[in-house]
Amino acid sequence: MEGEMLKGHLDMIVLAALSAGPAHGYAIIEEIKRRSAGAFDLPEGTIYPVLHRLEQAGLLAGRWVTADSGRRRRVYSLTKRGKRELSKRRAVWEQFSDAIGSLFKGSRPWQNPA
Amino acid sequence: MAESGVISAYVERLARALDFDPSLSRSVRREVEDHLWATVSANPTGDRLEAERLAVTNFGDPHVIAAQFAVVSLAKRARRVGITAILVIAAVFIAMKGRLAWYAVMEGPAGPMGGLGEMVVSIDRWAFWLAVVVGIAGWMYVDTRRIPAAVTPEYRTQLRRFFVLCLAATGALIASVISDGVLTSLRLIGTSWSLDVVIPLASMAIEVVCAGWLVVSIRGMTHRMASTDQTARIE
Repeated sequence: MEGEMLKGHLDMIVLAALSAGPAHGYAIIEEIKRRSAGAFDLPEGTIYPVLHRLEQAGLLAGRWVTADSGRRRRVYSLTKRGKRELSKRRAVWEQFSDAIGSLFKGSRPWQNPA
Repeated sequence: MAESGVISAYVERLARALDFDPSLSRSVRREVEDHLWATVSANPTGDRLEAERLAVTNFGDPHVIAAQFAVVSLAKRARRVGITAILVIAAVFIAMKGRLAWYAVMEGPAGPMGGLGEMVVSIDRWAFWLAVVVGIAGWMYVDTRRIPAAVTPEYRTQLRRFFVLCLAATGALIASVISDGVLTSLRLIGTSWSLDVVIPLASMAIEVVCAGWLVVSIRGMTHRMASTDQTARIE
């Protein structure tokens, strides 16, 4: 998938990945890869600024937990506002996707009028 | 198995690139370190050194990541300044009202203060309510702005507008605190040292400290804006 296209939808992708439940950064990236069947193979470092930004915007809540390995890790979950935002973005996306789909269905191969 | 130092060196570079925000730098460092070790553990090849190198490569350039964090740091700082402005104005209001209540309890209703006193009271009132209105407007402005994915020129303009609102609120608040100082002095001139003097002076000290705190907070924001400027240009 085109990097720029992906960048424009990163917030929605991360929110959608967290809709299954709380997860840490590594698990979120794995979830994105799994659900997109590898189509969204992001540079891993780009996810963390997104997570912090969404947390700052009040869409995610982050908390530190101790993993089984003994390492401290930050787990993120959707806030109520985050869930509302995800529903809103999903509705807009589905509308947009349907519209584009209809456009493609009605299109025919280009013919030279000459 | 011994660590090769590839991950340590990488997180050190990332932490240094995030130097503009020490608390963010510490938090991101811990988070990224955990991520990289989780990636290494999940690598099926068994070659630890290669797994560490691959994990670091896939994570990306530390300077590019730091540039993406710059906007988060700026937004956090600006919102904190907005909340500080509201808290400081509220604290000054409580100190002011507390002092007036103390005067009422100790002396009964205040008598006429003369021309200078009336003028200062008027300045105090107008300056304080200007600080309240502009402070709330600034806080609402910065709190309702969407945080972009990168420090765009538009976002910088929004931060500059917020900065101007903060300066206006702080200027008005300082004028109000100075007026309070003048009024307190007029009231206490010739009064002997007692509890009657300590309470008004303590409330004045609270007002001065609060106004100073707001100034320091705004100064911190300008430093953050300047220090993230270079980093944000990298992306």
